[in-house]
Amino acid sequence: MVVGAGIGGMQASLDLAESGFKVYLVERDTAIGGRMAQLDKTFPTNDCAMCIMSPKLIEVGRHPNIEILTSTEVLNVDGEAGHFDVKLQRHPRFVDLARCTGCGECVKVCPIEVPNEYNMGMDGRRAIRKRYPQAIPGGYSVEKRGTAPCRDACPSHVRAQGYVALIAQGRFEEALKVVRRDLPFPAVCGRVCPHPCEDACNRGEVDEPIAIRDLKRFISDYEMKSGKKALPEVGEATGKRIAIVGGGPAGLSAAWFLRLKGHDAVVYESAPKAGGMLRYGIPDYRLPQDVLDREIETFTDLGVEIRCNSAIGQDLKLSDLYKDYDALFVAGGAQKGRLIDIPGIDGVGVMAGVDYLRGSALGELPAIGKRVVVIGGGDVAYDVARTSLRQNDGVDGAETHLCCLESRDEMMASADEIIEGEQEGVQRHNSLGPAEVLKDADGNVTGVAFKACTRVFDEDHRFSPQYDEEQRTVIECDTVILAIGQQADTRFVEGSGLDDIAARGWLQGDPLTCETPVQGIFAGGDMFAGPSIAIRAIAHGKEAAESIDRYLNNRDLKADREWDRPIADRPKKRVAKAPRQHPALRDVAERKGDYAELGDGLTEEQAVTEAQRCLACGICSECGLCEEACQAKAIDHDMKGYEQTLSVGSVILSPGFDQFEADQLGEYGHGRWANVVTSLEFERFLSATGPTVGHVKRPSDNKEPKKVAWIQCVGSRDERHDRKYCSGVCCMFATKEAVIATDHSHGELSTTIFMMDLRAMGKGFDDYCNRAQSQYGVRYVRATISRVDEVPGSSDIQVTYVGEDGQPVKETFDMLVLSTGLKPQKDVKELARRVGIELDVYGFAKNSPYAPLATSRPGVFVCGVMQGPKDIPETVAQASGAAAFAMRDLAPARGTETIQPEMPAEIDTESGDQRIGVFVCNCGINIGSVVDVPDVAEYAKKHGDVVHSEGVLFACSQDNAVHMKEIIKEKGINRLVVASCTPRTHEPLFQGTLKEVGVNPYLFSMANIREQCSWVHAQEPEKATEKAKMMVDMAVANARELKPLHKRSQSVVQSALVIGGGLAGMTAATELATQGFPVVLIEKSDRLGGNLNRLRATHDGQDIKGFNESLIKMVNENPLITVYLNANLIRTTGFLGNFESTIEIGQNGEKRREVYEHGATIVATGGHESTPKEYAYGESPAIITQMDMEEKLADPATDFAAMKDIVMIQCVGSRNEERPYCSRVCCAQALKNALAIKERAPKANVTVLMREMRSYGLKEDLYNKARRLGVLFMRYDVENPPLVKPSDKGATVTIDLPRMGKVDIEADLVALAAAIEPNNTDDVATILKLPRTADNYFLEVHQKLRPVDFASDGIFMAGLAHGPKPVDETIAQAAAAAARASSVLSSNEMMVGGQVSVVDPDKCARCMCCARACPYGVPKLVDGYAFIEPAECQGCGVCASECPGKAIQLQHVTNNQISAMLTMLNNEETTRG
Amino acid sequence: MKLAYYPGCSGHGTGRELDESTRDLCDRLGIELQELDDWNCCGASSAHSIDEGLGVALAARNLAIADKTGLDVMTPCSACFARLAGARKHVLEHGAPEGVEDVTGQSKVFHVLDLFGNEEFVEHFHGKVQKPLAGLTLACYYGCLTNRPPEVTGKDNPENPREMETLLEAAGAETVDWPLKTVCCGGSLTLSRDEIVGQLCGNLFDMARQAGAQALVTGCPMCFMNLDRQWGAANEQGIEALPVLYFTELMLYAIDPSRGRSLFKHHLSDPTQLFSERGLP
Repeated sequence: MVVGAGIGGMQASLDLAESGFKVYLVERDTAIGGRMAQLDKTFPTNDCAMCIMSPKLIEVGRHPNIEILTSTEVLNVDGEAGHFDVKLQRHPRFVDLARCTGCGECVKVCPIEVPNEYNMGMDGRRAIRKRYPQAIPGGYSVEKRGTAPCRDACPSHVRAQGYVALIAQGRFEEALKVVRRDLPFPAVCGRVCPHPCEDACNRGEVDEPIAIRDLKRFISDYEMKSGKKALPEVGEATGKRIAIVGGGPAGLSAAWFLRLKGHDAVVYESAPKAGGMLRYGIPDYRLPQDVLDREIETFTDLGVEIRCNSAIGQDLKLSDLYKDYDALFVAGGAQKGRLIDIPGIDGVGVMAGVDYLRGSALGELPAIGKRVVVIGGGDVAYDVARTSLRQNDGVDGAETHLCCLESRDEMMASADEIIEGEQEGVQRHNSLGPAEVLKDADGNVTGVAFKACTRVFDEDHRFSPQYDEEQRTVIECDTVILAIGQQADTRFVEGSGLDDIAARGWLQGDPLTCETPVQGIFAGGDMFAGPSIAIRAIAHGKEAAESIDRYLNNRDLKADREWDRPIADRPKKRVAKAPRQHPALRDVAERKGDYAELGDGLTEEQAVTEAQRCLACGICSECGLCEEACQAKAIDHDMKGYEQTLSVGSVILSPGFDQFEADQLGEYGHGRWANVVTSLEFERFLSATGPTVGHVKRPSDNKEPKKVAWIQCVGSRDERHDRKYCSGVCCMFATKEAVIATDHSHGELSTTIFMMDLRAMGKGFDDYCNRAQSQYGVRYVRATISRVDEVPGSSDIQVTYVGEDGQPVKETFDMLVLSTGLKPQKDVKELARRVGIELDVYGFAKNSPYAPLATSRPGVFVCGVMQGPKDIPETVAQASGAAAFAMRDLAPARGTETIQPEMPAEIDTESGDQRIGVFVCNCGINIGSVVDVPDVAEYAKKHGDVVHSEGVLFACSQDNAVHMKEIIKEKGINRLVVASCTPRTHEPLFQGTLKEVGVNPYLFSMANIREQCSWVHAQEPEKATEKAKMMVDMAVANARELKPLHKRSQSVVQSALVIGGGLAGMTAATELATQGFPVVLIEKSDRLGGNLNRLRATHDGQDIKGFNESLIKMVNENPLITVYLNANLIRTTGFLGNFESTIEIGQNGEKRREVYEHGATIVATGGHESTPKEYAYGESPAIITQMDMEEKLADPATDFAAMKDIVMIQCVGSRNEERPYCSRVCCAQALKNALAIKERAPKANVTVLMREMRSYGLKEDLYNKARRLGVLFMRYDVENPPLVKPSDKGATVTIDLPRMGKVDIEADLVALAAAIEPNNTDDVATILKLPRTADNYFLEVHQKLRPVDFASDGIFMAGLAHGPKPVDETIAQAAAAAARASSVLSSNEMMVGGQVSVVDPDKCARCMCCARACPYGVPKLVDGYAFIEPAECQGCGVCASECPGKAIQLQHVTNNQISAMLTMLNNEETTRG
Repeated sequence: MKLAYYPGCSGHGTGRELDESTRDLCDRLGIELQELDDWNCCGASSAHSIDEGLGVALAARNLAIADKTGLDVMTPCSACFARLAGARKHVLEHGAPEGVEDVTGQSKVFHVLDLFGNEEFVEHFHGKVQKPLAGLTLACYYGCLTNRPPEVTGKDNPENPREMETLLEAAGAETVDWPLKTVCCGGSLTLSRDEIVGQLCGNLFDMARQAGAQALVTGCPMCFMNLDRQWGAANEQGIEALPVLYFTELMLYAIDPSRGRSLFKHHLSDPTQLFSERGLP
């Protein structure tokens, strides 16, 4: 298992899979590619990162033995090396990858915009997204933080965040559609809902909740004003009929949702009009009758039949309905008012609130007196009180008192009601319990006596009032209206079977499904669960409809019904306070005089402003628009995560890195000054897929900068933030950015890099920096930055620093880039805990130089930045190395879990007629919205040999593959044409389809009518359609010329030759032998060990001698390794998998030759310390090299304690004209040796003279330690190097120091850091035809992504032969070479041929143009003619185009094919005129 | 809310406007201050540069007194704050210094800006504003010691603090974002190298004016003294200097203009003309 799918993880997976192992590639993100996907160009070759990476992406994506597990985290690892059980958390993606075609329609409708991490938050992306355009897997994914609390709190789970987001974008009609998915009463609930959603709204923690209810009213009013209705579509008719008793919110909702499912719904309503309590319980000023009428109209529009004045239980019995219908829904409501049993309640002038309100709604207002007492503290009580005020408007001395048990804060009524009631004149009396209604002799009410209520709820918040009987309050009045609750009238159920459950006044049943004990009868609303708010009744209707549908289809009523989704908490971002928008109300005096609505609701402007306050808690709002937009039906918002346990043999961790947060260094102004950006942000500006499409613009004003500076080591080499190490890559990264920015710039661009040391220690890096300076004018300034300020007014950035002369300098730049350091990815700590491995103080994996990729847990390996900061080539080499180590424990399992898909035998396609099948793809609407696909498909039929042509929605979808196979078989198609998108990604897919039906995969021709047609000609659909037709014509012409091609199998010799017996060669040989491959290791000297024989200790002090001896012993004792000493390679012939080499063994006269067959070759010819020509080397025993110093340190006889001064001089023979490169190892070696001297002679002065200290990565710790122990470091100018003269004592070293002048040091020893140079490889390079750099190091095929491969397949390199490097890097690289070789050797045969070049000997003139043109050096003369070995040919076609005799044809792209296509184009054009 | 109060020598001397306005504001905003009994010098400027142990001990003695009150201690002076907070950190990490064995570090140390800059408090203050400072554009100047080093002051954003801006915006003024708000004014160099202070203060005036400010506002009596004193000198050198104010004076002014204005008479730099031009009484 490989954890982390950046470039390292991908490489390790490929090496393992190619070597015959099944790989699980686990990635926590939604796509593979890691950080490299964010880079624009790479140093030192300036290759486009995405261009070089995307073939790898595709290779990983298609590999049959790599299973990519995205959105996945490791939970724990049990077991031991070879037998691990890894428990994984698979997070839901909410998009089915098997269905998603990547068309992107979902993105267009998604209303949620969040910062786009891929572009470092500098632009936005949608909640449904692809990480980057080329992402693999190519499918989309939805980001969720959980369900928004507003949706969770709503009984009907209305997608509030969704429609609020749409309102914020002015998409009002869509917003209303989203409401109606769960709530058919937007106008009603937009007015009267007590909005539990707002109570749950997280915005309330910041300032005030979002005005969700008012927003809902706004969109419903907006629809009304527009005169259009956006109603959902009714489902396909099922023929099932459901009767609904009660036309209130529950009954009507059930009818609505049943209609959506295609059932017929008939509503029986006893009252003259439908609406239930909405109509007869809520006064007009809150919910006008006409608004309700219009809302109810939407139900009849949908086909709901409403029968008013149809009371059940009288003429029509419930049992009759039960017989006549397929199912029943009973929702009769609770419309009987409750009275209380107190003295005087029978007085004249006492009435129930619901009766009073019903009278009002029916236009038959009951008579009331001047002084009204309303008892109750809920919304109904306020409805009654405010209605009574309107009824008594203008009556002199009229008063309405509202008395309730609760205190102000405990009242059930909504805050709006209390405030508005107060404005209108309701006199509220809290904490009063009614004791007695007072009457006069005639029984007329004269007042109410109350007792004080001391407590309403007990500790558990149950209703349990307590009174103080002594405290009495009397309110005089003539009317008492009780609004303290309602009752249901269930008498009508008699004889239906529900009698028993209705006995207690309410219908009982399952609260989740609304089913009653009687099969087929469901119930909901107030009658079902007691009086409550409208939205709960609506929820019942919605749930009952679901239950009824399931019941009618014989499905489980309860499965997956529980609402237990995780709720999104408040997003952690900082939010500026913004006031809630309040709808304007009419003036109090005016509104209490009539029954018209209180106000007009929010204005459009207010609504948008209000909606923009939403925090988008869930990220995805679950609005469902993407589901509707997705024609492939790939989106499933109910997808759930799960745990999975996989058995694996080894684990490789490559979780990558994060950038140091620049904001932690506030003094640089990131996040404060607009024009200060981080290096990765700047990288996104450079990238074509970035926020500015590759144009560098400064954020403050979008102008192109003319002067840009970089500050290095931001969060690297920094003690204060515990980042003492060097990040290793930033110097080159900044240099590259400066170079690329200069390239992108339209005018002059001045670039400055402020740094401590320029650390360009990699292969070709110094050269790159030199070019950056000389050709691009990049200025390196060695300085410490003292201040960064923004210049007021211009947004320019002023940098203050101390110049080389010690004086402060102020310089102004247009833009400042902070080279932020690398740190282990933020979850590495947790990952390490779960996997059970140890980390160092910085959070990198602990390991030793001899096992640089091993962790503290056997069987678990690391690569990339988790092992330590590093660049891409090193990461890739380590990845291959880690793959090699991971294979060690798995060798016996090779090939056991991999898949070789079985294919049917190939059918004969050539003897009969050509039968062409054409499929034209709509690509959702990507093509179809521009190109008239049916027209193109019809057009193709004009060709006589086209036996089938059709347009398809998605040619690449799984179901279309099935369909295509059926058609191919049915119609005997033997040439397939698909007109769709790019062959780069999709050709193999369709070829696979052909293989599965036994048709040769090369009988396939593709026209790219998306990238090359619909996308580029979107503005001209007619012309695009014409062009698509021409492209199909050409594809058909091409198809006619296609010939079946067959790859042939070639055997592989499963053994290797390793050249060089140093550390790299021995390591590579051991790794290969461990995996069971025989190896011949040849060493030109008389002993193994190479440079290890002279080295003393690694830089962390581990003994090298012992390690070297044990390694030599291991090599010698391994039965699979044959070691030849004093051996040289004489000759090699053959190619990948089949080399034959002649080796000459022995010295002087006694030479013999061996011939050895092998499948792969590893070149590890090594390097050595050069002999200095400078600094009087050789003139005194006191002047030695660092290698000599190693030996002196190893020799106990050396008396360091007697020495007073030791001088080390760096860059001796490196970075000069002769050797322009950095020798990479010398700085660390000098530090290591200086520390060793300080240990033996603490009082000795150790002085290091250097150009700069390149203690990259974690080696910076050595530099820090050396400085702490008093080692002196002095910089010398390359133009003015130190002078060394032998003296009596040892040597005199003179150095010219700035501001100090010349200083002499009388040194006991002078150690020169002599350059590393490669061993002589003239013979090996010639024999194997291997390219070398100008410095005679071997040249890899690609510096970034194939760091150990030669251009010639089957030959790999490792160690100093590739470039200078220390022990740990050599071991990793040697293992990498072994892994790469093993991918060749793992199978005993390989397939060659197919799309390769073939020479016709009859036409060949032996000019050898092909040999010169071939980038891979494949063509050679065999039997007098050019011959191209199919096993070596890469199929690029360069030779075919160069051959002057037309003797070479590239199969599958032959001249005939091209001519046929051009002829077709010409003929058809002529026909068209 | 009740706090122990440590006015420091400046509170009783050169920074009286800061001390008075702080006390007055606390009184009006419902914070009871209890001045530490028998407090002594915090050790700023000289003691800690000569004898580190003495520097800690002087401050720690005040903390010991605060500990006994059981209250957290607040000071209006940035230097006192730095010394007291630093000493408290020392006590918590290394124990009581010699000679002040009874200090526990239990009392937390606040600068007046920590108290007033608190989000809830800003709301509270906002509700009391009578005369918004409309038309005033101010550059908030924090100097060094209220914010740095963050290990001592505990500030999240030591390079770009915003508390003073938030408060003054709540008082109705406009503020400018300018780069030098945490840059040194010269501190106690005013005693030995006055020309450096002149140059540094000149930079501050110059940059604040470039950023569009009409006055500099600070919460540190040392910064105030330097700037206020350099005001005349700068004007003589042709740098157009700005009036200097304490943020507490402006807060007080917004609640009670006449009381706020009564403090201006102690200033060398005269803000009255600026106020009159903006129609502020």
